[in-house]
Amino acid sequence: MVPSEFVGPHRSDAQGRRRVHPLTPVVHGLRLMPVLFVIAVSVLNSQAKAGNGGVLLLVVGGIVVLAALFTGVQYIAWTRLSYFFDNAGDLRIDSGVLSRHERRIQLSRLQAIDVVQPLVARIVGMAEVRIEVAGSSSKAVLQFLTAGEATALRSEILARAAGVRHDAGEAPENVLVLVPAGDLVLSLALQLRVWALLAVTVLVVGITVVSSGPAGLIFLVVAGGVPIFIVFSEFAKFFGFTVAESPDGLRLRHGLLQTAAQTVPPGRVQAIGFYEPLLWRRRGWVRVRINVAGVASTDQSSGNRAYTESVLLPVAPWPVAIAVVSRILPGVNLGDLQWQPAPERARWRAPWQWRTLAIAVSDSVLATRGGWLERRTCLVPHARTQSLRVTQGPYLRALGLASVHVDSTPGPVRIHGYCRDAVEARDIAEAQSDRARRARGTAGPARWLR
Amino acid sequence: MSDSSATSYVFRPPAERWVSVSPKMAAARRVTLTFVLVAFLIGVGVLAALKIPRWIPGVALIAVVVIGGWVWWLIGRRVRSFGYAERADDLLVTSGIMNRRLVIVPYGRMQLVDVVSGPIDRLFGVSTVQLHTAAATTDATIPGLLPADAAALRDRLAERGEERTAGL
Repeated sequence: MVPSEFVGPHRSDAQGRRRVHPLTPVVHGLRLMPVLFVIAVSVLNSQAKAGNGGVLLLVVGGIVVLAALFTGVQYIAWTRLSYFFDNAGDLRIDSGVLSRHERRIQLSRLQAIDVVQPLVARIVGMAEVRIEVAGSSSKAVLQFLTAGEATALRSEILARAAGVRHDAGEAPENVLVLVPAGDLVLSLALQLRVWALLAVTVLVVGITVVSSGPAGLIFLVVAGGVPIFIVFSEFAKFFGFTVAESPDGLRLRHGLLQTAAQTVPPGRVQAIGFYEPLLWRRRGWVRVRINVAGVASTDQSSGNRAYTESVLLPVAPWPVAIAVVSRILPGVNLGDLQWQPAPERARWRAPWQWRTLAIAVSDSVLATRGGWLERRTCLVPHARTQSLRVTQGPYLRALGLASVHVDSTPGPVRIHGYCRDAVEARDIAEAQSDRARRARGTAGPARWLR
Repeated sequence: MSDSSATSYVFRPPAERWVSVSPKMAAARRVTLTFVLVAFLIGVGVLAALKIPRWIPGVALIAVVVIGGWVWWLIGRRVRSFGYAERADDLLVTSGIMNRRLVIVPYGRMQLVDVVSGPIDRLFGVSTVQLHTAAATTDATIPGLLPADAAALRDRLAERGEERTAGL
């Protein structure tokens, strides 16, 4: 039951504190269901065979009690969870069952905001809001609101962060790209690692079948599923990928079972990378990834998750990718970049990618190129340069070469200028430091619509 | 340019020379090395007490002594290779002998400056200054500063960082 003081569309009380939806403990319980179900089935299976009726009852009873306890704890957590906008306009989230946890989210440091519907929540029409701020390694998550409430909260946060009235409503949007499902499936299937895994599986299965007969066929079904599972799970993540532009920034929507709607406010993209795997080159497809400050990279529970959430376009033809990027970084034309390739002696250090290695500098970005099996082109706007490094190992020293690195916030895009002429490397780093300083002076304001 | 002059151009200091760090840092690290070597020597002693061919502990002893001596010498060289320089808008830090490195950190991008010193460092009277930007790969660590120098450097960096802070 919602305490009577929390009323109205936001379930807010007199001080403007809001509650999340009362069904939240139930949704948390439902998410636990699959695990409990599996445990229950396996226990029932083994115990029914052994015919221990008493133990059976005990175990089932135990599971029921556990589920009830868990939901009870989640209910208490729900009563102690509240969020509100303070006098400075920042979002505060108070939570905690035993110890109080008060979180303050500075909207001027907002990097991205996502509305995600995990499968179970989606079934009951709920969604969670994830907020990423610069300088924090973890996201602030508000679970669960109805889908409508979540979208409204997102609009409100974005409006406040932009410096407009908080009840301005959702900003209009202009859809730029919708990735077709057919292209997505084909592109995911055309990944070298999928084929490598398939080849390894076939080899292993072949050996197993030859040595132990029909048991190998069962192994085939299980092990052969791994590459297929990889393709399917990526398909489910990127299904219906839509990129839209709005005054809020970039809106990315994707997902088949679990849907997500991400918003990246303007000026928050730290670096952009174009990745072209070998098998995609004939079709002219490329994957675009971005670094957004505040997206946790390696300290998430599953290392891959952060990178899928840094994808701007899972697959697109080059002209489409360039067009989208030019909306984010106006004035950047990949075709106009003057590439300075690495000197020929770099072949002794990087025999496969030395021909691709190059750096280019334009008025607004520094770009690097490299890679052999997967060609990458990475851009960093000058204002987003964090620090610069020049490194030289003994091999490079003997060749009279050095590498230049532009450090950016954690994310999949890394900007490396490998194997440059040694003297040139230092000059590049110093020049970039200069450009970065000048660009920082003219960078846009944190509240972008004020 | 010849190899060595190219390298000295790449890692040249912005002004006259790099500010070098205190040699006490080398002493501190060598103390740690001593503890490690003692542990290894105990291991060799245990090996000798066991019933195995005499040459195995002999070889192990020689290896510990040789490698220990080499690392001892290397520590001195590594500490001497550290240098830093403060410029108008950024800080430069250089280090390394085999793998040489130069980091340029703009003041306006510094988020955090830490002064750290472990128990052995404190014994010898040295501290380490660590700079953090929004990038995880920024590798600007200056070990072996006298505590007063380290605190003064941190304060200067923090002050300049605040003057030039430019969002993200």
